[in-house]
Amino acid sequence: MARSPGETARAHTPVETAAGLRPDVRQALRDLLLVLADSKRLLGFRYAGWILGAPELESGIACAAMAQDEWGHARLTYALLQDFGDDVAALEHARAPHEYACMEVLDREPEDWAGLIALNAFADTALSVQFEALSDCCYLPLRQRTGKLLAEEHYHAAHAGAWARRFLRGQADARARFVERAHAMLPAVLAWFGARSGRGALLAQAGICNGTSDDLRARFRTRVEPLVLLMAPDGVPDDPATADFDEIRRRTRRAPGGGLGHAAPQGDALLVLGAASDDGLAGPDLETIVRVRGDRNRPFLLD
Amino acid sequence: MVYEVFARKSRGDRLQHIGAVTAPDDELARVYARHIYDEERWFDMWVAPRDRFLEVFNAERATPMGSL
Repeated sequence: MARSPGETARAHTPVETAAGLRPDVRQALRDLLLVLADSKRLLGFRYAGWILGAPELESGIACAAMAQDEWGHARLTYALLQDFGDDVAALEHARAPHEYACMEVLDREPEDWAGLIALNAFADTALSVQFEALSDCCYLPLRQRTGKLLAEEHYHAAHAGAWARRFLRGQADARARFVERAHAMLPAVLAWFGARSGRGALLAQAGICNGTSDDLRARFRTRVEPLVLLMAPDGVPDDPATADFDEIRRRTRRAPGGGLGHAAPQGDALLVLGAASDDGLAGPDLETIVRVRGDRNRPFLLD
Repeated sequence: MVYEVFARKSRGDRLQHIGAVTAPDDELARVYARHIYDEERWFDMWVAPRDRFLEVFNAERATPMGSL
């Protein structure tokens, strides 16, 4: 029976394994799971970078807790990919930077605390909006994992909101810096939800996701509206053009080394090597990936 | 500002003092307390600014109690 795009995901027959999904849907969901797992992993790494050096001891501890949460969410999401035929160990430990499918704003370390809070407020929220849209997914292994994950995210949002309000209501310099970081980041975060006619529509029709890319983008705008109102008249940019958007990695096709949201450090050979790719899709810098993959611990990896 | 943190493990238990956090405002105090004291499965948790606590008496020194 044909289903209208407006029908909820619950109307679709639940499936226990990826083999029960139509091949095009299975591939789209597999690619989305990798985007989510890589983004969670990189976000955890960015939080971890501020365990030492946060403005207050307490905010460093909050970063440690959020990093631990994100790495747990990443591990759980990578684990799902085994059901899609992926070698999970290879995904976690053997990919080059340009093979990562994380959100572009996570490619570079935020240059200051305002940048980290912008990631906390916007990148982390975008990921939660996407996971919420999967909470009644017809693929049951994913549906069953979203509840605890989203409960933990509640505290990440509280941290982001408290700090963002502190910036936006505080001294002019702190406010200006946060607004600058937010504006550098928001176009890429808005674009990350994908093109209207892209895979978002397929995943919505198949009962994987309870909204299209545009629906999710609108939910994200609503979620961040309290901060946006405080940023007024600077506000949030209009929905960005998604013409150069790669639907598989959910990243913009661009020249290597041009990560969004953060200025790339100068003169770092690792960065140039790490960001280069044949298809014009840059990735995180190699130094980040070496640490995320755990290269230095490779001899100690257990079977 | 220092906030004292209280929690209880089950409904009906007495509130226990479990520690303190330093935070610039109430909102961050709640966030920090939740992140820092997360090793137990608490039933509920509360924070209160330390400077809002009123001493009633102290066994080792006199505490003025007010008078007529």
